[in-house]
Amino acid sequence: METKIPFLEVSDAIVMSGAETLYWCMQCGLCSGSCPWRLVPGEASEQFNIRLVQRMGQLGLEGFESENCLFACTTCRTCVDRCPRGVDIIGNVRGMRSMLAEVGTIPGSLKPIVGSLHSQGNPWSGTPEKRTEWTEGLNIPIFSPDTEYFLFVCCTSCYDIRSRKIAKSVAKALESAGVSFGIIGNEESCCGESIRKVGDEALFQKLAESNINLYNGKGVKKIIVTSPHCLYSFKNEYPELGGNWEVYHYTEILADALKAGKISPVGDSVGPVALHDPCYLGRHNDIYDQPRQIIESLPGAELKELSRNRKNSLCCGGGGGRVWMETKAGERFAELRISEALDAGAATLVTACPYCITMLEDSCNVMGKSGELKVMDLSELLVEKL
Amino acid sequence: MGDEDQKILVVGGGISGITAAIEAAETGANVVIVEKNPYLGGRVAQLNQYFPKLCPPTCGLEINFRRIKNNPRISFFTQSEVISMTGQPGDYQVKIQVNPRYVNDNCTGCGKCAEVCEATIPSTLNYGMDSVKAAYLPLGMAYPFKYVIAEEIIGTEQAKKCAEACHYGAIDLEMKPETVTLQVGAIIWATGWDPYEVEKVDYLGFGRFPNVLTSVMFERLASFNGPTGGKFLRPSDGKEVKTVAFVQCAGSRDDNHLPYCSGVCCLASLKHSTYIRERVPDSKAFIYYIDVRAMGKYEDFYTKVQKDENVSLIKGKIARVSEDTDSGGLLVEGEDITAGARVSQVVDLVVLAVGMTPGTARIKPELDMAYDDFGFVTGSGPSGIIPAGCVKAPMEVAASVQDSTAAALKAIQVARRR
Amino acid sequence: MDQNIGVYLCSGCGIGDAIDIEALPAVGEELGVSRIVSHDCFCGPEGAKIIKDDLASGDVNCVVLGACSGRVKSEVFDFDLMNTIVERVNLREHVVWCQPAGNEDTQAMAEDYLRMGIIRVQKSTLPTPYLEALDKTILVVGGGVAGMQAALDAALAGYSVKLVEKETELGGHMLKWFKNTPTIPPYHDIENINLSSTVDEIKNHQNIELFTGAEIEKIGGAPGMFDVTLQNGAGAFKVGSIVLAAGWKPYDATKLGSLGFGQFPDVVTNVQIEEMAKSGSLACPSDGSAPSVVAFIQCAGSRDQDHLPYCSAVCCRVSLKQAMYFKEQNEETKVIIFYKDMRTPEQSEEFYKQVQKSGVIFVKTDTSKISITEGSEHKLAIEAMDELLGEPIQMEVDMAVLATGMQPAVIDNPILNLEYRQGPALPELKYGFPDSHFVCFPYETRRTGIYTAGCVRQPMTAGRATNDGTGAALKAIQCVELSSQGKAVHPRAGDMSYPELFIQRCTQCKRCTEECPFGMYNEDIKGTPLPHPTRCRRCAICMGSCPERIISFNNYSVDMIGSMIKSVSVPDEYEEKPRIIGMICENDAFPAVDMVGLNKMQYPPWVRFIPLRCLGSINLVWIADALSKGIDGIVLFGCKFGDDYQCHFIQGSELADTRMSKIKETLDRLVLESDRIRLEQISIDDYYRIPQILEEFTARLEELGPNPYKGF
Repeated sequence: METKIPFLEVSDAIVMSGAETLYWCMQCGLCSGSCPWRLVPGEASEQFNIRLVQRMGQLGLEGFESENCLFACTTCRTCVDRCPRGVDIIGNVRGMRSMLAEVGTIPGSLKPIVGSLHSQGNPWSGTPEKRTEWTEGLNIPIFSPDTEYFLFVCCTSCYDIRSRKIAKSVAKALESAGVSFGIIGNEESCCGESIRKVGDEALFQKLAESNINLYNGKGVKKIIVTSPHCLYSFKNEYPELGGNWEVYHYTEILADALKAGKISPVGDSVGPVALHDPCYLGRHNDIYDQPRQIIESLPGAELKELSRNRKNSLCCGGGGGRVWMETKAGERFAELRISEALDAGAATLVTACPYCITMLEDSCNVMGKSGELKVMDLSELLVEKL
Repeated sequence: MGDEDQKILVVGGGISGITAAIEAAETGANVVIVEKNPYLGGRVAQLNQYFPKLCPPTCGLEINFRRIKNNPRISFFTQSEVISMTGQPGDYQVKIQVNPRYVNDNCTGCGKCAEVCEATIPSTLNYGMDSVKAAYLPLGMAYPFKYVIAEEIIGTEQAKKCAEACHYGAIDLEMKPETVTLQVGAIIWATGWDPYEVEKVDYLGFGRFPNVLTSVMFERLASFNGPTGGKFLRPSDGKEVKTVAFVQCAGSRDDNHLPYCSGVCCLASLKHSTYIRERVPDSKAFIYYIDVRAMGKYEDFYTKVQKDENVSLIKGKIARVSEDTDSGGLLVEGEDITAGARVSQVVDLVVLAVGMTPGTARIKPELDMAYDDFGFVTGSGPSGIIPAGCVKAPMEVAASVQDSTAAALKAIQVARRR
Repeated sequence: MDQNIGVYLCSGCGIGDAIDIEALPAVGEELGVSRIVSHDCFCGPEGAKIIKDDLASGDVNCVVLGACSGRVKSEVFDFDLMNTIVERVNLREHVVWCQPAGNEDTQAMAEDYLRMGIIRVQKSTLPTPYLEALDKTILVVGGGVAGMQAALDAALAGYSVKLVEKETELGGHMLKWFKNTPTIPPYHDIENINLSSTVDEIKNHQNIELFTGAEIEKIGGAPGMFDVTLQNGAGAFKVGSIVLAAGWKPYDATKLGSLGFGQFPDVVTNVQIEEMAKSGSLACPSDGSAPSVVAFIQCAGSRDQDHLPYCSAVCCRVSLKQAMYFKEQNEETKVIIFYKDMRTPEQSEEFYKQVQKSGVIFVKTDTSKISITEGSEHKLAIEAMDELLGEPIQMEVDMAVLATGMQPAVIDNPILNLEYRQGPALPELKYGFPDSHFVCFPYETRRTGIYTAGCVRQPMTAGRATNDGTGAALKAIQCVELSSQGKAVHPRAGDMSYPELFIQRCTQCKRCTEECPFGMYNEDIKGTPLPHPTRCRRCAICMGSCPERIISFNNYSVDMIGSMIKSVSVPDEYEEKPRIIGMICENDAFPAVDMVGLNKMQYPPWVRFIPLRCLGSINLVWIADALSKGIDGIVLFGCKFGDDYQCHFIQGSELADTRMSKIKETLDRLVLESDRIRLEQISIDDYYRIPQILEEFTARLEELGPNPYKGF
């Protein structure tokens, strides 16, 4: 075994890059044992040990840089919630990734994403003009000082063809509920949540600054988001940069509307429905009840809880930038989720996050289960019954 | 020392309380103990053996009970609790409630009531792992050596049957809670500890899987007067236990649960591994730890257990316990840090080394002492009440006894008229 | 006193159903007892009144109560033991609850027990306590935190105290410390040390006489009457009991070769760090520069079979504290702690967490394998296997601090210089620490009236040592109080009997002076034992050791037990009813036999149990008495012996075992099978084994056939 020489200057730099709790870790191994990568086979599962990665960080050692090691972390927050020392493990991952981003040693698959965000303000290489293409055929209002809520649609649901359905259904549902909302449009930029997790702090700052100036300039006070990732960023990361708004996930608004009787779903029975709690809606933002309330309001709904639910929910595999990286079939968390949904006896698997939809639907197709299980965003299922 | 001194009240009749009481009384003080259980001895009366000598607690309890019996300066109330207190050092008035035992001093311990009683209640002694007759002697070594009629059968035919069976008029079904006021000069608070509610550490499976036990339950399982007569049987199906995983820091050293270290659990689990290894020859024990904390001379005990090749000590906090359908046992998962490997171990039984929470986290005396955030007593505060034992910090038996001996002197200083 | 024995036979709890109570008075009458009463519940108000009235009238002054075990109902049968001799004959647990009812063998058993009980009373006298040990002054040796607290707390309880400290100032090690580990919530910050208030309080307390710069030349005498002489004529005085709080010394770091202490000036010990920090500058000794990288090596000597096998308990916390010294001096300083296990028990886990948050780096490794070598630019190079990384690492540091362990101050100096036949020091438990072997009784030492406190007892923090001083002071006070009343201390607290020697018949064999676990006997020049009754714990091991049988107690003697054995009825060999005498420890085996009864387990009716104070009090003549009378077998139940002994008199059961191995040789010569004697180690929890042991023993005796001495 080769003797390693710790570089404590490097660990200092990691701490400066955001890994503020790096030294709080006592190396108990609960994080690595709790990591969803332990549930699947494959390279990332073998190479990525979050405890060991932090250990290397503590000593300023190299060797964790690959896509299947440090960049395997989906920032699902299971370990953070459990950590006995209160270590901000995601912050530490972000700090270590930042160190690499600064010297440009991020995984190749992420480079086009970064490029697109720089040039277009979104990760999907779409031009700003196409940002509102999803509104075609709909009468989506434009945000004005009289509008109560600014509806911020996740870049994924603006550009990805499948995901646009989510944007549409959310908008339709809000409209049915009589919510006063509007979009700003082409000037909007990506919230930057995932790129910050990837480690590109400068890019995040740039995106955030642009959004904050835009929204404040438009007089935004309240925001509805379609994605829990945007929710996280706007709610938890923007305030210290000057973005202070009330931010809601659409499920919160629609659950309230249901309670207030502003919408009442009708129609054929939806049958057995399972809910996948998105990491960023649940563990990151503590929203568990509202999606369930919406499901239970649907005609004939039979809520089938997955074996891992609420705070023990299993990640779809798409957070922390993984949505842009390739995970081999047979090694995906989403596959486990599909099986769990089938085991639970669900005919429909709903969730409330565009990343989760992408990951789950893909796995459902690859597994050949799309005939047995329908993957839908909760807004889509709701809108069918309005 | 003499009879002009004021009485010392000791609240709690576990090893700390009885030690404080006896040590003070043998020094010449008059002492009264208030204990909530129907017997003295507290948690140690539920232990199979002590580390590091692997000696039975009954030995020391027998000596201590004899010291109490021989010493007219000690009196006690069982099934009792403090309900109010006023005053200051040198002059306290304490009200206690004595709950009915439904058995009076005429009880000879003959056991006729239990013979005829058909009703059963869950055994609190055995943490609900089995049932006992509703007319029962709390344990063989019970002191006082008197039966108890369970509250649950009062007003039923069963209770009447028990009363009729007693030749000595010892069963009084009309007993009511009584309030007694004590005038004392000093108070020692020794209400001990409670096991952490480890079902809150949900990934460890306690409360969901019958084969996940707490360390205190494992003591009972190992005891010859326990629910299985000292046999290691899997709760789910009664199969003999061959493999046990001991999960350390089940709640302790965890900001989400008990941020402090419970001090005794490492040694307790090392001890538990000897229980199973001694009685089941082809057994294996796996101890999963963060750090093994065997302070001072206890290191020798750790060294001794390490020599048994069928006891594996693995550095790594357990992250998941789930049922293993093939074996009917449990799958324990986590990281084996020093081996650079995963833990994926199927065992018959999982024993969680539950942390200690101070009795004062649950019930604090009416007069103020000083506490830390965890509920441990850090000082007498304005009340002048003297804390002793595990209400101050997690302690093993020897440390509790040491601390209680010190508390006895502090109490004597106060109780002695100035 | 003229004995007037009353025999009270209880028929309650099934006793009357199982045995013929009407037939028992004959046993008493045989032995000259005239007052024999039976009742169906002596523990009830009516029954108890019968006995109390008899005592009050003066018609009876000795009570033989044939009823339940003496371990129960003591609150009812609480007779005045200064004026009454009491014997509880255990007809319930030891006879009717473990034998078939209405059987002649059960009846014979009850009769034998009653006979033995009456004889025990007839061979007893009232206590005449030893009332000559009246000094209640407490001597505290050592003026560190433990000793100071012991002195102060004894003084505050109203006792005169002599406090002897070898240095010129009070305070011990702590005097040299910079700061203390956190003791107050939230346990995050190291704390300033304030010794002066305690020191001033001691100096100003009227009950405390302080001797600084003083050491003990010798201590003679016994509890309640110790004679203390200080060196160099600094004083001589009497005290009643002693607290030894002599503290600890650091393990010699020069013995830790691979760590470079003595070789590299920048390798220092944790003791030196305190001194440096207190002087205001943590600098590399080599050049006086402030270190930018500092390593701590934990378990430097501790937890190491080649050095100190035990854990010194405080070093983890001390290193955390000292790491904070460096961080407080300059927060940029890098601190790396190499450890085996971080041992921060209880609330000190919070401090560990806090030190982690300050950026200290922790490396888990087997520190005994670390070697410190010369690095570049006069730095120190440390190579260690990082078990968290799974790979070896090498670091260069400016300074290395060895967390050296603790040894007791008595490791190479007895300090007390006791004038005891068994030596000048307190006997050690292990590794030089004169600590208690008992979990339940941590203040027990093998020298009565001398209690240890603080780090001389076991490694501990300053906070715990302070508290330990208080506890030891309590024990010391308790000892003088009990001694002055002629009462024994633990474990037979309150016992007023003590050994009396018929010295004219002593042959100076020295067995008693050697075997007493507590060093009770000194010797004169000829080797004649000189008893010191207040040193005695009343175990009667000396009585058992004496071949001339000259040692006895007012209520326990060789003659008494011998007579009890001889009183057992032995059927002749044709009846095929063997007899077994069971001599058993009264603290553990006796309650175990009670438990057999309580659980209604049965065993052969041939055995007669006699409780002994300690199995070590067994005298070989009892074996001879039994066998010559035709008793077929003898079982001895004592406590576990060996490293983890459970005997509360230290060696009692082991000594009994040694004696039995000797008598077996004698038996072989008499052509009596040595299998007729069996010794078992029995704890209370072993009760379930007792029936089986007795069954097996009986079966073996059947194979051997009847004792040929029957009828002689």
